[in-house]
Amino acid sequence: MILEELAFLALAVVALATALLALLVRELVHTILWIAVFFVDLSAIYFLLEAPFLGVLQLGVYAGAVTVLLLFGIMVTRKRIFSREATTGIGAVPLALALVTFIFVIASVGEFSAGATVHAYDPTYLSQNLFNVNGPWLLLLGLIMLGAVGGAIYLVREGRE
Amino acid sequence: MSGLPIVGFVGLSAALLAVGIFGILTRRNFILLLIAIEIAMNAGILNFVYFAAYTGGTAGLTGQAIAVVLVGFAATEVAVGLAIVLALNRLRGSINVAEATELRR
Repeated sequence: MILEELAFLALAVVALATALLALLVRELVHTILWIAVFFVDLSAIYFLLEAPFLGVLQLGVYAGAVTVLLLFGIMVTRKRIFSREATTGIGAVPLALALVTFIFVIASVGEFSAGATVHAYDPTYLSQNLFNVNGPWLLLLGLIMLGAVGGAIYLVREGRE
Repeated sequence: MSGLPIVGFVGLSAALLAVGIFGILTRRNFILLLIAIEIAMNAGILNFVYFAAYTGGTAGLTGQAIAVVLVGFAATEVAVGLAIVLALNRLRGSINVAEATELRR
């Protein structure tokens, strides 16, 4: 019990710190490395919440695919991938807006009861729910992904002005 | 397993959303913008997962199913975003979003 709370606290601190570092660090490649740590950390939080399927999905899709995709994006758009980025200033208005969002979301927490039980799910039931009950939505996701891939290929194809 | 404080999870999610919004508003590099959007989106997915864990039953399972679909959507969004980055880079030689003003004219 206390061990789980300590684990969550540590994971939450690491998640926040890596998210901030990813946005504030000056070299783009270091940004990608920090965001990879962020994704792995979130997957650990999913395992803590007894959602192993989502944890593995987070590791495979985010920490694996998205990270490599972003690295390739940097690789093909710059001559020297370790070149530094000119940081824009930390403006007062964006900071204020972010703080207002945080306070607004936190203020809505009071409606929920504190400290309920965490339910564990067997991945078997999750797959039944995903492919039977929510099957049409999964099909829709596939169609949208197909359209997105077609659009991405159209955008990057050669000989287009 | 029981007793993980719900305030902590909502707090973490809210803080990540705030970091994402801050990044979206301040960064001018398209790839950094995509990363900020990913951080904000992960805050939302985290919400789905832990409210699924706290709710239990069929409703909780649906919450996890939605989270799975959202992860797929986020990956698709990154792929399309990077295609836009490549097109922008070929067109202008830079991926600064403040310079991409073609649609304003």
